[in-house]
Amino acid sequence: MKLARSCVLTLLLCAAATLAVSAAARAQAAPAAPAPAAQTPAPPSAAELKDAVGKAPPATAMQQGDPGGSITGTINDVPVADSKTGITAADVASLAGQNKIAINFVWTLITGFLVMFMQAGFAMVEAGLCRVKNANHTYMMNFFVYGCGLLAYWLIGFAIQMGGAAGNTNLGGLAPLSGEHSVALFGKTWGLFGAAGMFLAGHSYDVGVMVIFLFEMVFMDTALTIVTGACAERWKFFTFAVSSVLMGALTYPLFGNWAWGGGWLAQLGTNLGLGKGYCDFAGSGVVHAVGGITALAVCLIIGPRIGKFNRDGSSNMIIGHDISAVLIGCFILAFGWFGFNPGSTLGASTNGNLRIGSIAVNTMLAGCTGTFGALLYMWILKGKPDASMSGNGLLAGLVAITAPSGFVSAPGAAIIGLVAGVLVCLSVAFIENVMKVDDPVGAISVHGTNGLWGVLSVGLFADGTSNYGGSWNGVTGSVTGLFYGDASQLAAQLVGISTLLGFVFTFSYALNYVLEYFVGHRVSAATEVQGLDIPEMGQLGYPEFVLTPEPDILRQAERQFAVA
Amino acid sequence: MAANKGQGRSFAVFLLGATVACAGLATWSGGMGKLLLIVGLVLVAAGLMMALSIKPLEGKPAYRPGGEGGKFMGGLLAALGWMVTVVGIQFVTSTSGRILLALVGIATSLFGIVVVLPAAFNKNAIWKT
Repeated sequence: MKLARSCVLTLLLCAAATLAVSAAARAQAAPAAPAPAAQTPAPPSAAELKDAVGKAPPATAMQQGDPGGSITGTINDVPVADSKTGITAADVASLAGQNKIAINFVWTLITGFLVMFMQAGFAMVEAGLCRVKNANHTYMMNFFVYGCGLLAYWLIGFAIQMGGAAGNTNLGGLAPLSGEHSVALFGKTWGLFGAAGMFLAGHSYDVGVMVIFLFEMVFMDTALTIVTGACAERWKFFTFAVSSVLMGALTYPLFGNWAWGGGWLAQLGTNLGLGKGYCDFAGSGVVHAVGGITALAVCLIIGPRIGKFNRDGSSNMIIGHDISAVLIGCFILAFGWFGFNPGSTLGASTNGNLRIGSIAVNTMLAGCTGTFGALLYMWILKGKPDASMSGNGLLAGLVAITAPSGFVSAPGAAIIGLVAGVLVCLSVAFIENVMKVDDPVGAISVHGTNGLWGVLSVGLFADGTSNYGGSWNGVTGSVTGLFYGDASQLAAQLVGISTLLGFVFTFSYALNYVLEYFVGHRVSAATEVQGLDIPEMGQLGYPEFVLTPEPDILRQAERQFAVA
Repeated sequence: MAANKGQGRSFAVFLLGATVACAGLATWSGGMGKLLLIVGLVLVAAGLMMALSIKPLEGKPAYRPGGEGGKFMGGLLAALGWMVTVVGIQFVTSTSGRILLALVGIATSLFGIVVVLPAAFNKNAIWKT
């Protein structure tokens, strides 16, 4: 007992002593000596570089193989300008610059490939939401829109959009793209359209230009394919092709130049002090709103499907034939969106590009909360967790986060997505029941309405923490929205929304109205009743299917319009 | 008659014309550029005229004409709203004023797009018969 008591006391005394000593040591710690003035490190001398070359693994060591990768990639792999002189500091610096550009090229190209794959997702979603008698036609529109858009963009669209986009340091400067046409108005210069880059020939035959062409082209095609969904089941294949060529050549590139190509919307910051000008990180406005608004213009002209509306104005549900294609298509789109948003940094090296992880997570989160928003809305109000609206909720969230993805925090992204999920349901009901516009896949609501919401949300939720080279659109600082102290950014976004509604819609409407006169958008009533696969494409989408009869209400309408 | 050879020929002529016209624009400063542009535009017009000639043979679609005045007015209102915004922000210098102006412009455009145009297109809608 006495021994135990002694041990405990000893331990306590030791602990107390240790504490006292360490406290005294902290109290008596001498103040740190002032740090020496920062000195710029001297570049390696020629002798140091030669010495490093000498120490590199010899050829005999390399011949033994390098399973761990520890001796592959050395100073001997640095290209030298003059083999007689040997490696110099300039050689090392040149390699650093080349590596930066190479990393950014690879990043931009790989993410561009992901976006291209989204075409498959769109095809599956749209065809899945249409009737089986139109499957071939719907798939073919999504297939051929790739070629139509690419051709138009190569001929002239890229030049109009990006012809004046020189100055991007991520991709080597893009110096050949120095042909922006501007106009002087109200004492300022405003960019209107570019001119360099047609056919990717001449000076545009440039490695950096090729990279940006591919990346921007796949974005353009996303906008074009949106229209095919809204106008499915009654759009003449011929007119779709002509309309898509014109959209890829003119409509999309014009707005794209104004937002991304050095045009007047981006200049709102430098010219009028409106935030950092119109900001659209990956294209809620440029891609999705342009596509959705054009879809609305064509849908108004083309009219609703036979049997969609009753005489009293109430609508009938026309169910798609393959919900599995719809949901798998949505996943393909969500996967491709990892190229859409993070890829819009146009690089993974320097200039704040390490934010790519943050952008990717924002994208995921918004898609997730968008799904919840739509699914819960449908479940609570309509009684069922509707599959097609849930898929549209995912897409709505992804569309809405596209513009703000590079500027907002994770909670902001989640809120934006949640609002988008509810908004898409409200919009679908409004467009169908109030406007009496028939949109088989909800493209106008997913891309148009939520594209505009995405543009607006930049002006609200941008938190001012991003830093892409210290400026955006030529204005120093970070993009900051109303909730973080900059109301002028909201003003710039509203000007963008006004341009989308006032210019893009009117331009698309006028263009397609002219096409209506010359070509006619809609197939004949007989073709529509029969299904577009045989009359328009010459073959059924699923030749071995046994087609079940359509509901009575649709057959009544079809009998009314059928040609004997 | 739905898709047919005439459509194929018309589309091919249209594409050829677009390509030649763009080649003309790309080589504008050279001697051939202006000629190529004119030839290209003529081919585009020819393609559209070919489409117009076969249009009546493709059958009647399920809609009826009408409401042309509203169809024009709706488009005009949409464009007018944009002009209000773009011109107005040059003369109003306060941020709140510019926000208000943009909202007025957006509302004007939306009125044309969401109210006037659907009313015009639905005036003689086939589902009303």
